[in-house]
Amino acid sequence: MVSNSLSLNKLKTIISYILAIMTIIAFMVFVALRQTDDFSFAPFAPYRNVILNGIKNTILVSLISLLGSMILGFVLYLLQKSKIKYFNALIDVFTEIIYGTPLLVLIIVTAFLIGPAFNSYNRNLFGVLALIVYMSPYMKNVFKAAFSSISHDQYLAMDLFGFTPFQRYFYIIIPQVIRILMPPLMNNFSLIIKGSALLNLLSYPELFFTIDVAQSRNFAYVEGYILMWGLYLLITIPLSQFTKYIERKLSL
Amino acid sequence: MKLEINAINHTYDVDVLKDLNFLLDNHNSIAIIGVSGSGKSTLLRLMSGLEKPSSGSIKINDLSVDDPEYKKHVGFVFQQHNLFPHLTLKRNITLILEKTRNKTPQEADEIAMKYLKLLHLEDQVNKLPKNVSGGQAQRASIARALSINPEIIFLDEPTASLDPILTHEVLTAVEELKSLGKSFIFVTHVLSFVKDFADYVIYMHEGKIHECGKPDILDNPRTIELNEFMKKVR
Repeated sequence: MVSNSLSLNKLKTIISYILAIMTIIAFMVFVALRQTDDFSFAPFAPYRNVILNGIKNTILVSLISLLGSMILGFVLYLLQKSKIKYFNALIDVFTEIIYGTPLLVLIIVTAFLIGPAFNSYNRNLFGVLALIVYMSPYMKNVFKAAFSSISHDQYLAMDLFGFTPFQRYFYIIIPQVIRILMPPLMNNFSLIIKGSALLNLLSYPELFFTIDVAQSRNFAYVEGYILMWGLYLLITIPLSQFTKYIERKLSL
Repeated sequence: MKLEINAINHTYDVDVLKDLNFLLDNHNSIAIIGVSGSGKSTLLRLMSGLEKPSSGSIKINDLSVDDPEYKKHVGFVFQQHNLFPHLTLKRNITLILEKTRNKTPQEADEIAMKYLKLLHLEDQVNKLPKNVSGGQAQRASIARALSINPEIIFLDEPTASLDPILTHEVLTAVEELKSLGKSFIFVTHVLSFVKDFADYVIYMHEGKIHECGKPDILDNPRTIELNEFMKKVR
């Protein structure tokens, strides 16, 4: 009886989700058909490789930004913890400025102002740097949360048992920090992927840009926007589902 | 066990312990009781060497608690189990034995299993702390404290975060350890456990030892404060 009502509940949940997804799709179909009579992705077939390349570039640039912002975020975390007041102040000011800046503005400022000031016109490089800088305060917070989640009593216990500093980090602290770090890190990865769409502004051939280019040739704007949207979701939704799975799996 | 406390003062923001002097010999199970903020947990932490006093000195069995040698012979059980949360109950013990007590993995495994069995946890050894009950986790932390073969085991309100049934489960397990011939110093609010298990009771009040003696002082308090305390705890 209990298992019956349980599976019934599960069935209800599944049906609800299917209905919810269909509602959104129905709305999109309505929107699309209001704008075009012969809806078809066929005009994008010739651009398949270009778009695939765009997806590849989106993921590549996001991975680089993830790694870069993790490193910079960790440095910011260390500087924030530093006993030197100037560093604390610098991180505070920097964080406030980044929090207050739209990513679009930061990319433009970095690629068109800061880059040229250093005699570099490599916009792609500075675009990625902008993404890295933009994400670094968020990464700093992730590190801060992860390290502070190890309780004072755990340090006392490590003291009591006589672990060496290396043993503390290697066996106790880092394994816990990694578990705590993973879910927010993956959430940030999703933020980066979405943010990377703005790099189209610098003509970096990522997903947005490649579809934009295809659209300007085949004029299939309706299908193009829907394709673009769908492809982003195809990357980000599995990622967020995987994040939830990891979160459950690794929680302490 | 011989316990010597000389002119201990300890201050966090306010004075927690005030000029404590105390000498005790031939008792192996000492209970420290008192209201919250009376300094009892602080005294326990100082005696275990977990924290250093602002001034004064403590010797246990003629060994200063500052002595690096001392910590090797001390087991400590925290209020919340304080197991390393990413390690299984067994690994919580074997890691310490392998890395800090130079045991081989086989030896560590045997010792860990011996104490986990002693605390009736043989079915839970490969579970993470989050996947066992609070009482089981606390018993595992007692097994961990025992595994390094300490002379003295400190327990800091080991049942403070547990419901009455789990409290009983943990305290019964501790009582079974009497035959191991170890010394115990513990802080608790469970007076029935004090009466059953302690052979000496220290009542702390406002940072001082207000009354002390055999457990029967609980039945016939000499001071108003202990009398009030007994009424409240019951």
